[in-house]
Amino acid sequence: MFKRIILSFIAGSFFYGTAAFGQVNPADWKEEANIYEKVYDVSITSNKGINLTFSQLYNEKPVLLALIFTRCSGICNPFLLQLKENLQFKSDTGGFTVLVLSFDPRDTREDMILLSERLGLKNNKQWFFATTGDIEKMNQSVGFNPVWDSARSQYDHDAFLVGINKEGYITKKLLGLRDKHELGLLISSVHDIFSPSYRLPNNNQLFSCFNYNPETGKNAPGLGLLFLALPAIIALLLVLGISYNVRHKQV
Amino acid sequence: MESIKLRKITSLWILIVLVLFIVNIVLGILMRLNQGEIIHQSPITFYANMTTHGLTQIGIWFVAGMAAVNYLLQRYVKTSYSANVVAMVLTVIGILMLWSSTYIGKFHAGWTFLYPLPLRIMWAKWATPMFFGSILVMGVGWLTWSVSMMTQLLKKYPLTRALAWQHFKKNPSTQTPPFILITMITLIGIITCLLGAVLLLAMYSAEYFSNGTFVNDALLMKNLTFFFGHTIANEMLYLGLAVIYELFPEVGGRPKWKTTWYVALAWNCTLVFILTAFFHHLYMDFVQPVGFQIVGQIASYMASLPAAGVTVFSVLVAVYRTPIKWSLTNLLFFIGVAGWVIGGLGAVIDVTITNNFVLHNTLWVPAHFHTYNALGNVLFSLAFFHWFSIQFTGGIHKEKFTKLILTLLLIGGIGFLLAFYIGGAESIPRRYSNYPAEFPMAAPLAAGAALFATIYLIAILIFFFNISKRCLNVLFSPS
Repeated sequence: MFKRIILSFIAGSFFYGTAAFGQVNPADWKEEANIYEKVYDVSITSNKGINLTFSQLYNEKPVLLALIFTRCSGICNPFLLQLKENLQFKSDTGGFTVLVLSFDPRDTREDMILLSERLGLKNNKQWFFATTGDIEKMNQSVGFNPVWDSARSQYDHDAFLVGINKEGYITKKLLGLRDKHELGLLISSVHDIFSPSYRLPNNNQLFSCFNYNPETGKNAPGLGLLFLALPAIIALLLVLGISYNVRHKQV
Repeated sequence: MESIKLRKITSLWILIVLVLFIVNIVLGILMRLNQGEIIHQSPITFYANMTTHGLTQIGIWFVAGMAAVNYLLQRYVKTSYSANVVAMVLTVIGILMLWSSTYIGKFHAGWTFLYPLPLRIMWAKWATPMFFGSILVMGVGWLTWSVSMMTQLLKKYPLTRALAWQHFKKNPSTQTPPFILITMITLIGIITCLLGAVLLLAMYSAEYFSNGTFVNDALLMKNLTFFFGHTIANEMLYLGLAVIYELFPEVGGRPKWKTTWYVALAWNCTLVFILTAFFHHLYMDFVQPVGFQIVGQIASYMASLPAAGVTVFSVLVAVYRTPIKWSLTNLLFFIGVAGWVIGGLGAVIDVTITNNFVLHNTLWVPAHFHTYNALGNVLFSLAFFHWFSIQFTGGIHKEKFTKLILTLLLIGGIGFLLAFYIGGAESIPRRYSNYPAEFPMAAPLAAGAALFATIYLIAILIFFFNISKRCLNVLFSPS
């Protein structure tokens, strides 16, 4: 409980800080962008000193890609802590790899080793901490746009987790600190398991068959259902009307 | 009761339908040749052909059934010649508008024009309203024709009698001819689904002209699309069945069929259930409540099995150990019923939810609907065309090429359909202009299908040249 309060406090401080210094426009960050596009096959160096391509990693198991930098004074640490904590409660933890990739060219292998030690994940086989010399192309392929703020010597960015399946396609992205349920959907997506999604209520949409309430998570019947029955109702009235009319005239 | 004008307009309908059918088969063969990698069309040309082929096919066999029913209905009630002319003029205008939208405007959203495809403009901007306009024009013509026929029917037969409800009691005092019962049931269904089309077009227009201030609900649009599309595709089949009930015993020199309680019950079931069977098109739409999906499966069974049962029973009883005067008309009806049943079984397999998980959007779908059309409903209409064309020869006509036509139709039809069924069983997806390497059987099957479809086309060409002269004689004969 205490850890959650601390995490929320740090995350809240970060968001208010971002709003105050705001160089990143949230409108430019879109979870739906790049979905089902192939991720760039970057060369990476792991904290264990292994050089490999990204495709070698995701061809073995689907990947959850977390983009961070070690000198981050904001979201990166709470993001990784929360990810670690949420994954502890998932039964399907052996079916994918978590790749923590630095997007800061200043980060070295030693920095990543330190980070993995700090998180208590140095010897965890599921977690991979790595750097790359080609981060720009990787950022571009997943739609990640950190902005350097020279006044604070920090990148303005958001927590960003990308799901990549065994074929190297981006299946889902999560922006910001997200709950266990949404992490579960992302994990399903990297295993190519379908997850239903709903269109949120829209003022321009008047005749929905069902109205989804995001608070209750339930559907209520909408006006559209009446529209669906309308042709049958009009046809019935028409048949009865014609029938009555022709009989009435004959009488 | 039959008028000269009705003969002439029916002849014209037959000629228009057959010419368009021949062109349409060529479009189908081109599509299969492209999928078979024998020719190379751009995807835009392929999908424009697919859109044109699908809608034209629905349109021509619907009007063929209507023209046949209108002609035979004259035996019982006086029908409106003006409504017939209006339907013909609007159908021809509608077809021309449709072909303009697809071949000049390059509209290629498929005949099902599923939301929101028509609004994602990837063709000339005018092509979308032109496409919708074509459906509206044809729909208005057909609605006028249907309402007119129904009104004439109701003038003579009270609604309950037209629906043969008196047959649910013992010893009914009056008889409802099966032809009247099936026509009435079908016309109500047609009017209902055409009203659905009007609503669908209104919703599309509202979004198209609202500049983004109004957005449709995708689920509602898909429901409405299949409410119209699925229902009309089935109702046109029932028009053909009405013709069978009227002509099959007559042509074979047997007494007319009578309505019994089970015939009345089966067709009344069809009226109710055909309007909800379309839910089976939405099995993959997870937002649709499960209850609707179950209704879709049960309604699909209930709409088809009772009507098929009583029809097959009636046909078999009519021919089993009975001296029948077999002619091309009778044989086409008989083979058509077999094709309808086989295609229907393919459909029932597909609408069963557990099977649909495997067969959904595979070639199994065009397999079954091509079966009950190309070897079912089309043959019902061809039988009527043949029967009609020999009515005015003064009893002097020499039947040519009957065996050849039937042999080519069967070889071509079965071969063409088998390629679809095998493709479906192999999980080859439908609506692909070119198949990826993951489906090595797809291209050879498509090439083979094109060959068999060409054999089917030859049969239709021989049939056309055989009867067109007689139809032209009727059309241009002095009154």
